[in-house]
Amino acid sequence: MLLEVEQLAIAYGDAPAVWDASLAVGPGEIVAVIGPNGAGKTTLVNTIAGLLRSRSGALRFEGADLAAVPPHLVCRLGIALVPEGRRLFTRMSVEENLEMGCYRGEARRARGTSLERVYGLFPILRARRRQVAGALSGGQQQMVAIGRALMARPKLLLLDEPSLGLAPAVVDQMFETVRAINAEGVAILLVEQNVVRALDSAVRAYVLEEGRIVASGAPAILRQQSRIRQAYLGLRDDQDDTTP
Amino acid sequence: MPSLTLLGQAIVSGLLAGGIYALLALGLSLSWGLLRLVNLAHFALALLGAYLTYQIGTALQVPPWLAGLAIIPAFFLVGMALHAVFAYFRVTEFTSLLVTFGIAVILESVIQWFWTADYRRYETPWATASLRVGPLFVPILEMLACLTAAALAIATWAWLRFTYVGKALRASAEDPAIAAAFGVHHRRQAFLLSGVSAAYAAIAGAFIALIATLAPAQIWAWLGVVFAVVIIGGLANPIGALLAGLLIGVSESVTMAIVTPAWAPLVSFSVLIVILIVRPGRA
Amino acid sequence: MSAPPRRVALGLTIAALGLAALPVVGLPAFYESFLYIVFSWIALATSWSILSGYAGYFSFGHGAFFGAGMYTTATLTTAFGTSFLASLPVAGALAAVLGAAIGAVVFRVKRLRGELFGLLTLAVGFVLATIVLNTRIDGGPGVYLSSVPLPRLVASPTGTLYLLGLALAVATIAAAYAIGRARLGLGLYAIHDDEDVAEGKGVPTFAYKLVAFALSAGIAGVAGGIHAMYVSYVTVGETFSITVPLYVVLMSVLGGARHWLGPAVGATIIAASLYVFTGGQQAVLGRAVVALVLILVILLLPEGIVPALLARRRRRTPVSVEMAAAVPAPAAPAAPLACTDVWRAFGGIQALRGVSLEVAPGEIVGLVGPNGSGKTTLINVISGYYRADRGRITLGGATLTTRPAHAIAGLGVARTYQIPRPFAHFSALDDVAAAATFGAARLSPAAARAEARGWLEFTGLGRRAHALPHELNLHERKFLELARALAGRPRVLLLDEVLSGLNPTEVAGAIRLIQQIRARGVAVLFVEHLMRAVLELSDRVVVLNEGEVIAAGGPREVMRAERVVEVYLGRAHVA
Repeated sequence: MLLEVEQLAIAYGDAPAVWDASLAVGPGEIVAVIGPNGAGKTTLVNTIAGLLRSRSGALRFEGADLAAVPPHLVCRLGIALVPEGRRLFTRMSVEENLEMGCYRGEARRARGTSLERVYGLFPILRARRRQVAGALSGGQQQMVAIGRALMARPKLLLLDEPSLGLAPAVVDQMFETVRAINAEGVAILLVEQNVVRALDSAVRAYVLEEGRIVASGAPAILRQQSRIRQAYLGLRDDQDDTTP
Repeated sequence: MPSLTLLGQAIVSGLLAGGIYALLALGLSLSWGLLRLVNLAHFALALLGAYLTYQIGTALQVPPWLAGLAIIPAFFLVGMALHAVFAYFRVTEFTSLLVTFGIAVILESVIQWFWTADYRRYETPWATASLRVGPLFVPILEMLACLTAAALAIATWAWLRFTYVGKALRASAEDPAIAAAFGVHHRRQAFLLSGVSAAYAAIAGAFIALIATLAPAQIWAWLGVVFAVVIIGGLANPIGALLAGLLIGVSESVTMAIVTPAWAPLVSFSVLIVILIVRPGRA
Repeated sequence: MSAPPRRVALGLTIAALGLAALPVVGLPAFYESFLYIVFSWIALATSWSILSGYAGYFSFGHGAFFGAGMYTTATLTTAFGTSFLASLPVAGALAAVLGAAIGAVVFRVKRLRGELFGLLTLAVGFVLATIVLNTRIDGGPGVYLSSVPLPRLVASPTGTLYLLGLALAVATIAAAYAIGRARLGLGLYAIHDDEDVAEGKGVPTFAYKLVAFALSAGIAGVAGGIHAMYVSYVTVGETFSITVPLYVVLMSVLGGARHWLGPAVGATIIAASLYVFTGGQQAVLGRAVVALVLILVILLLPEGIVPALLARRRRRTPVSVEMAAAVPAPAAPAAPLACTDVWRAFGGIQALRGVSLEVAPGEIVGLVGPNGSGKTTLINVISGYYRADRGRITLGGATLTTRPAHAIAGLGVARTYQIPRPFAHFSALDDVAAAATFGAARLSPAAARAEARGWLEFTGLGRRAHALPHELNLHERKFLELARALAGRPRVLLLDEVLSGLNPTEVAGAIRLIQQIRARGVAVLFVEHLMRAVLELSDRVVVLNEGEVIAAGGPREVMRAERVVEVYLGRAHVA
């Protein structure tokens, strides 16, 4: 297993956000974490990326304890983050944002090839490489964010709500790209509010509701469970009069 | 209405004076823009650098550029030490204003203790030397200061723009958490920046010693002008600081030529007030 | 929050009379002079803290007002022959007008940041100095007041100045105390902790800051006028030096800028210490020591001496456990909230597109929608934090869209914040009382405290009344948010994710509370992600997506509607 999360508990000060979360991502897998707003998905991802510290539980990457690693060294281990809301360096150019992705170590040496790869995936960015990142459209910014993470040549890509605020057509394109990246061997932990896309892409999924993993398994099985409806729409089985 | 020559001379003087403003503004602009700390002690450091240059020059007969080889690295360390204090106490942007205010006063007292409040003038053979360009006089030392300011501004711009360290500084200033997620060690960057900023103060000080008359209270004389330059030029914008410095310098000297000299300080302070009101969000 | 008025008044009177008697009894001139200096600093530091300490807008230009006062008296007495005493009110008035003028321009800028205000006020001092230096007011040589007659209140001239200084110091301390207990002070303290929230709770922030600044400046002006006589030779260099701005900050910060007596304590300590260093090199040393103390105090004792001493003695009187009789009714007659075609954009992003909805009195409307759909933006627009670009929002007959946030709060609109934003230096009781004072009910500070107790009981925080926010856990802070919102007796309650982070028992409790509030005729609009709570609580549900209302109606039908399911779960889940 590439990433192992066991009974992780995370809190903001005295406000618990995640209880007892366990999941795993194998090399080259796409794994999805879905759940409604406020469930704790971003908290979980940010903790894996090193932005937050967990309260208790185990966090391991390639067998080594991740919880003890200082934030600026997590990237070196092979984990790259595409944050919720993109969080680009808006005052820097597209290319500079991408270069920040390969800031560390060997990734920097591979700058040229990595850039080519990113521009190959997102041709429009090549045309806009010198533009200030803040001036791009939402979809283009999402491309830059993903590209920045790819520049780090990660083994595991953390994608936090990539479809947020994007038009449906753009979302389609983006998930195509996600599959292409995965095809090259990069494992992906995908956090998404958008259930359909997530379940379509992933080989395994976890459902997070109010800070707890309430269901997990293959997408085909999860789709049939009413657990998801309940989490998102609040409707309980006995109140549904759904047509089969 | 003064003659064309007089006006021309005023513009030249203004540009050269603006060079000094820009030299002072560079370090301040960097630390305020990239570290989010307002360093009022920057002026005091510059003046201390000036006095040290003066002292080493007159007591030991060492020329300023040589003295600088000792002073500049020393100030770099001082800058880092200062940041160590800030980091330890987790000083916020506003608190830094108060703390550096205090440090500036302490430095002023130190200066006054050692050198008294009497005016000091660093007499050098080049002090009166100047180039003749047509009907205009261009004092050599001041021109040197201006050229240094321009060179330093461009070098700083290039450093921020093209090197990885420079990009890391800019990224970290905007979103330190995400910059860290990509490997930028914020603390190390901050120390580096503080050191560089203080080193710039030392360079500015060397030229102040060569050009101006020294008195401890000078610290406060530069304050308003340089802050105006920093804000007009845009935080963490070296070229902006240079251009703003030149602009303010020229405005002041032209005002001096057309109206009485005593009104000149009003120009920069008034511009500062106007800018702060019109554009209070950080540039 | 402070000692009872009668005791303070008694203390001040005794001290004042005692000190006033000294020159009559026959105090050596040296001591009269020294004490005058102390009184002058007390007046300066205390007046500074009225704006800067209470509201947190640190001014570095107090010297400008002091100087303005000095030169007003100098000019009036020498050039116009005005009597010294008559010149003092003019000095104060001029300085106050100057302060008001600066404030009127500067405070208009929304959220002028602290350090920019500091720099601006510092620059004002220099500008004023230049003007004075270059016009006939001074012109360079300074102004001599030695020929100006000084009324003899007691035998010696220093004695007279001593008495004037004493009167000013006592008056300033009394003013600081009175303001601290009045609505103005309460508002200033709230502005200090969180100006946006204060405005949202009904504090007229612009007006209060302006008044505080003008008052502070005016007192400094009078102090300057008196001082002109004391020095009898007024120069620009001495008057507008960095000394006054620096020292008033230090004295207030040392003693405690938020406390009415803090600056006086700090001023006494510093002024007395400085007298040890007189003249020559020692003065230089004195300044360095003063600055060092400032640094240490800011870093180590940020609240100041007086609060540090008082903190040890903070009484924890148990709050009486009488239950609030019933939930008080809204302060004004019930009225429906109506949004009509509201639009709001941020830069290129259209956050709200023609949103129309209504909440009737006694109705609970749930506002739901995916992330980024505009729910919190709508709440911000209704409460006045943002202006609507287009459209109208009305409460009964009153239009909200044209009013500033504090006026909207005054009309009876209250909101909670998703992440609780209590006033950091206020106890729970004081926080809720502040809301009661500034909200629609507009209770007097005393009545507000009684009301606040009731609301704290209602939300289950009765026993935590004297706790500060950092001593409360998340659940308690969320309920404090609720209590604050309710304390103004609003007609409309806007709840922004008040349930997130609570465990199921706490959620059930909150739901019961909200139902009780509805029973009193309050119109409730609440944003929530916890769907089962939405279904349980709402009379109607409105669904937003990308700034538009896509469905509205009964909770169950809406959440089953095709469009809604599609937006949340995608086409595959529909039918």
